[in-house]
Amino acid sequence: MKAVGARLPRYDGVGHVTGRTRFVDDVRIPGTLWAKALRSPHPHAGIKRLDTSKAEKHPGVHAVITHKDVPRNVYGHLEALGVPADEPLLADDDVRYKGQPIAVVAAEDEATALEAVELIEVEFEEREPVFDIRKAYDADAKPFHQWGPAFPHFGPYASRRIRKGDVDDAFERADVIVQGVYRPQAIEQLPIEPQVGLSVPEPDGRLTIYSCTQAMYFSMGVVAAHLEWPLNKLKFVGGTVGGGFGGKVDTATETITALLALKANRPVKWRWTREEEFLCSSTRAPWHMELADAVTSDGWLLGRKMITLHDAGAYTRFSSYGVTKHSFHHTGAYTIPNLRFDGYVIYTNRSPTSAMRGFGVTSVSYAVEIHMNRIAETLGIDPLELRLKNANRIGDLTANRVRLSDPSTVPVVLAAADRIGYELGAEFKQMTSEPRSGDLLPDHLLTSVARDGGAETDGRGA
Amino acid sequence: MAKHRGRGIATIEYPTGMNQNGDPSQAWIKVKPDGRIDVFAGTVDIGQGSKTVHTQIVADTIGVPYEWVTMDVSNTDSSPICTGSFASRGTFIGGNAVRFAAERVRERILEIASKEMEIDAADLEIEDGEVVAKGAPDRKLGLADVAAAATWTHGELLTGAGAAFKPYSTVDDDTGEVDSEPHSAISYAACVAEVEVDDETGEVRVDKLVQVYDVGRAINPTLVEGQIEGGALMGLGLGLLESSYPYYPSVEHRGEQFGAYLAPTLEDLPDLDNVILEHPSADGPYGAKAIGEMANNAQPPAIMSAIHDALGVWVTEAPATPEKVLNAIQERRAPQRDGKRVVYDDQISIAAVSGNRGKGGDGEGFLLPDE
Repeated sequence: MKAVGARLPRYDGVGHVTGRTRFVDDVRIPGTLWAKALRSPHPHAGIKRLDTSKAEKHPGVHAVITHKDVPRNVYGHLEALGVPADEPLLADDDVRYKGQPIAVVAAEDEATALEAVELIEVEFEEREPVFDIRKAYDADAKPFHQWGPAFPHFGPYASRRIRKGDVDDAFERADVIVQGVYRPQAIEQLPIEPQVGLSVPEPDGRLTIYSCTQAMYFSMGVVAAHLEWPLNKLKFVGGTVGGGFGGKVDTATETITALLALKANRPVKWRWTREEEFLCSSTRAPWHMELADAVTSDGWLLGRKMITLHDAGAYTRFSSYGVTKHSFHHTGAYTIPNLRFDGYVIYTNRSPTSAMRGFGVTSVSYAVEIHMNRIAETLGIDPLELRLKNANRIGDLTANRVRLSDPSTVPVVLAAADRIGYELGAEFKQMTSEPRSGDLLPDHLLTSVARDGGAETDGRGA
Repeated sequence: MAKHRGRGIATIEYPTGMNQNGDPSQAWIKVKPDGRIDVFAGTVDIGQGSKTVHTQIVADTIGVPYEWVTMDVSNTDSSPICTGSFASRGTFIGGNAVRFAAERVRERILEIASKEMEIDAADLEIEDGEVVAKGAPDRKLGLADVAAAATWTHGELLTGAGAAFKPYSTVDDDTGEVDSEPHSAISYAACVAEVEVDDETGEVRVDKLVQVYDVGRAINPTLVEGQIEGGALMGLGLGLLESSYPYYPSVEHRGEQFGAYLAPTLEDLPDLDNVILEHPSADGPYGAKAIGEMANNAQPPAIMSAIHDALGVWVTEAPATPEKVLNAIQERRAPQRDGKRVVYDDQISIAAVSGNRGKGGDGEGFLLPDE
């Protein structure tokens, strides 16, 4: 029997539903200490004084760490890709979101650790928080981030840009311009298993880190960078995760338990409460998108102008990556020849937003697809036929000038129509993804189709 | 006061792998002395079933029963790098890594079998755990015997490694043009949502989702359906229920427990009609493309459009809570028309909310779509 194509059961299904799978919190090592964090009660404040001496002397406490204990406190998840770092592992002279970790205690049990957290003395200077990304450049805006209101490192620009064709000419030629605003919200990744990590100092000087990360090597790289250690002094044990959905790409517990374990020379486990998981972990980002499409009365998309604001929360994390991915897909499943796109990463005093299922694209699919139905409404034409007419086809060029080799907008629309018994016009029923010709290659699309020997990217990578 | 029915469609696309690439996955395989197969990779199974899918790929690529393959993704000492289980890269990129490793192992098995059987390796194939001479099916040698010969006669280890990688694609910051394809295969999907809206309570119920996904090749159709159905509920949560900040942009009233955060449950699960299309990709394992992340992208816009079909009003600030739906019914806001320009949602735009239309000093600010 061939395995590929077979409905084989998940190898881990029985273990999960009978409670026999060993997740990180099920790993018990004798002598383990338990961690609890002091987190910011304010969305934005300066830290004028931080004193952990009483907590350190509290009976049962083995280690307390602050930013001073981190060999490299500021490290960016995307530094390897040239994105500079902006987020401290533990807050230094200010806090920028409610729930930001400031100090972490390792003690004999969680109750003792919580008592010690209460004994840490902090003097805050509360500052005005920033929440509405639309007002980032207002005259009275008070940006709190060292880089200003927006991430400034898209090359020389503060926005990820797409410029293709002659968008002003397309808007001039359009019969109708349809404009709309789309605002999908922040949501929680909501794994059943909250963030949890266990770091164990080994007799040979290595650290074993039991992790619920979605990305063992990635998280190991982050820990190694903060510790300034080579990778071979770390061993990540993982691969069994109680739900991720993007929320376990950011490294949450591993570095801090590693530092506490080294300081106390004992294993240290940190398991977030459900409240911490809700209030302090990253969320899916809220987005603000404005689209204006230049269209003809018979339903051709001539051009698109779009601005996107991505609510990054307090630090960048993967935001610039998400906005770039967003920009690459801002034409959706359709081919549009003339484009002007600007995507901004805007800082606010909420929990840093980060990866979640569909990162960067869930938002743009939301905007583009409602917008397509509004164009159909405005023009009084069929929404499925509007899609089929402008669908990606073999040989079409994307916003990045990449040649599409196997698009399937047409087959999925036709299959959906068939499934709901939807009657399409005869010329639409016959459509395929084959390269454009005839009526499907009007003059305005001549520049958006790859030609043999053309200068366009061949679409198959380097 | 009445209930209204509506239908809305969305069509989406989604890329495989990290945007701009540069995200390796690697694997290595060894064969035990009795011919059973051990696979080592760093790809975390987050519940999507990547370990099962990778095992299926290895079994068929080498030519052994599925039960012969054990996969270890438990630690970084024994496994090579995998960038991670995100960016819809598990089946395609992680799958290619184990496929390439399995192809190497297969070659090594045939080398040893060739010596044992005195038949050229090119004339041998592996089927269901046996090395068989092409065109002479009675001339065969069990993989257990090949592995035993490698171990005890030839003193060799049957092993192989594979690495899946697409080089980093550089983007021009001025224009967005890239110097190479910035992703692997693109998957496409369509979703039709059927809703019922109560115009007295503002409550929206999704009755049915028809969902079509082109996944290239369904390596495991049950797991593909798992992605489709799990994604449907997540998309429904995005469209109608969930919000970390119910009064966004304010941070007040952020839910801090399941009782204060409205996530979908099985009670909300509509009728699902799943359609899997298989237009194979050129370079994915067995033609596979990705499905993981895109599975929650099409429902929200389809649901919002179905609400419009039912009531004639648009909600574009998600989720479409009863409060927002009732407000939309009450306001019955029509798009503003100015010459050939038709403007929806002007009241929530940057131009409307910002004190200075999003413009700061020193040339800073936003370039708006009407500029």
